[in-house]
Amino acid sequence: MIEPLLQTLLNGVASGGVYALVALGYTLVFSVLGVINFAQGALFSLGGYLTFLLMGGRIGVNGALPGWALPAGLPFWLALLLAALGSGVVSLGVEKLAFAPLRRRGAEPLLYLITSLGAGVALVNLLQILMGAEGYAFPATALANLPAALNLGGARIRSIQVVLLAVCALAVVGLTLWLERSKGGKALRAVAEDASTAKLLGINSDAMVQLAFLLSGALAGLGGGLIGVSVSLAGPYFGIGYGLKGLAVLVLGGLGSVPGAIAGGLLMGLAEALVPSDASGWRDALAFGILFAVLLVRPSGLLGRRLVEKV
Amino acid sequence: MNAPHLQRRQRGALRLAALLAAGVGSLALLGQQADRAAKALPRAGSPGGALTIGAVIALTGNANLYGQDQRLGINLAQQWTKEQLTQRPLNLQLEDGGSDEATAIAAFNLMINRGAVALIGPTLSQQAFAADPIAQRRGVPVVAPSNTAKGIPQIGHFISRVSAQSSVIAPLSLDEALRRDPSIRRVAVFFAQDDAYSTAETAIFQKALAAKGLPPVTVQRTQLADNDFQNPITAALQQRPQLVVISAQAVDGGNLIRQLRELGYKGQIVVGNGLNTPNIYPICQRWCDGILIAQAYSPELNTPVNRRFQQLFRRTSPHQPPSQITAQAFAAYQVLFEAVQRLQARGGLDGVTLRDARKALMDELLAGTYNTPLGPIRFTPEGEVVQEHFYVAEVQMQPGGRKGRFTLVRNNQVSQSPASVSR
Repeated sequence: MIEPLLQTLLNGVASGGVYALVALGYTLVFSVLGVINFAQGALFSLGGYLTFLLMGGRIGVNGALPGWALPAGLPFWLALLLAALGSGVVSLGVEKLAFAPLRRRGAEPLLYLITSLGAGVALVNLLQILMGAEGYAFPATALANLPAALNLGGARIRSIQVVLLAVCALAVVGLTLWLERSKGGKALRAVAEDASTAKLLGINSDAMVQLAFLLSGALAGLGGGLIGVSVSLAGPYFGIGYGLKGLAVLVLGGLGSVPGAIAGGLLMGLAEALVPSDASGWRDALAFGILFAVLLVRPSGLLGRRLVEKV
Repeated sequence: MNAPHLQRRQRGALRLAALLAAGVGSLALLGQQADRAAKALPRAGSPGGALTIGAVIALTGNANLYGQDQRLGINLAQQWTKEQLTQRPLNLQLEDGGSDEATAIAAFNLMINRGAVALIGPTLSQQAFAADPIAQRRGVPVVAPSNTAKGIPQIGHFISRVSAQSSVIAPLSLDEALRRDPSIRRVAVFFAQDDAYSTAETAIFQKALAAKGLPPVTVQRTQLADNDFQNPITAALQQRPQLVVISAQAVDGGNLIRQLRELGYKGQIVVGNGLNTPNIYPICQRWCDGILIAQAYSPELNTPVNRRFQQLFRRTSPHQPPSQITAQAFAAYQVLFEAVQRLQARGGLDGVTLRDARKALMDELLAGTYNTPLGPIRFTPEGEVVQEHFYVAEVQMQPGGRKGRFTLVRNNQVSQSPASVSR
């Protein structure tokens, strides 16, 4: 009796951790700018492909340079970190192209959605041109020193999912500590709280916005690389599904709330794990049904702050 | 309202109606001019005398793994036709049919409007159920190279296939698994529930299992877009299966096999036709080793056309044998080529309209017999392929886990009457 429950819990936590990671990326940008970066899913895909290429992966026959590969592949961890950094840098580019011009003009938040969506679509299509539409699998030796799966109290979980969960937890703890304790983190929170006042206090709010994009892109890239190793890259659009799920988690946990993103991710993962396989076609419907129900009871999300508008 | 104003409004309405009528008339005229099917075909030796064959295959999306094999098979068939006596040349036009229904429909329409005399494709059965009715309505012959779901040729007179139905092939691999381990009692079944082919194939597998007194201990439903199978696999493993039977496509199926092995499953795995491509090797890598699959093609079939097919194949891929999907795509182009040549030799394509040529070609196609790399094949009046040889293969991966091959383990001579295949 305990074993299936433990298994369900493990399954839920494993997928929930990834959702939380994606939602954190959204959260960072939302907390600073009050808008959602729809290119997050594309950055997730990018992280997967960059990790693959940096590990020495070869471009397939439908890519722009069929058969091309780096002269030497990097070890998985180094490739993952560099891919996360690369996604962060591209995220900065998205900010420059799709957000900064609108911010300077004081545009409506809706316009950011459209420009970021456009940037995401362009990025995914660029990936398709460069890498082709085929799937890519990482070499089985990516995590050679680890056993394929671990047995925890009778429940089984693949080692890569434990790694994924550990990295997600590290990223969440690291980010939370950085936001709470460091000067940069406090400055970012100050901009999130009130950009005008933060500016008056001498904080460079533009730099903080760029930092938020860099970090959110890096988180997406990290998630994409880890998922790529776990389940392979099913095509340039594979990140979009995770991006949408992360968006739902963001709303479920509470817009702009870091603990909310984590709680929402885990809840979403557990909800999916509880769906019996007979009803697996209803998995997304159930997950989004929970989102709907939570929002009916708590419109600000699980841990979101209720906004009181002065009139 | 005063009278002059009313008159002005009436005149305006009349002008608008006349404009609309003129527009509709022009469109109808343009449509008639664009109706290539009503035009007479150019004569065989004249410029533009080549007949267009449209190949709609998946070059993008999840099914592109099959599409790559199919493109190669069709290209090899084109090379082979250059060595044959040609009375009426063919002009191949390749169009990406994607991996979804909408793209396949758009590609079918495009090819038909461009005047294709026949179509090859689409790649997936799911797409065929959506796109084939369009070709049927427009009277364009279709030869499916890889659709194995029940009911494809039954869409209509103009629809045929060279890919044998799953019900004929799939159970053969089960027989082999049970021959290797007669003590098997607990069978787990996985299938992609949002894929027409997989749902049709799993019904066949489950029926065959029930007939052997082995109803599945668990049936796990997945989806084509799934990539994390932790939930269904752990649920299935709790039932301690001795045999796992999978009906899925290459990407999701390959991932499923890998994760099954990673999570500790050590028993036999039987897979369906969706995984019948060497393109699964990079996905499930060393975990592909040992999976059993029934096939409609064997590189070991010793016939002149199969030997030539393999010679041509080795020019592009010297280190591996061709896959079933490549061979079936070759056969699809070959049967169309041979039917066109026979028809032309009788003068059946001279002075007829494209519409009549399409109809005559379909009749000729169904009437012929063909020596293909798959072995000798013919068609039932419904368009179902009748094939004699089927095989069971086992995947053997090389030590590096990136390359492998389908190794023949059993050659089955199946007596396949037209009645049995058209059910």
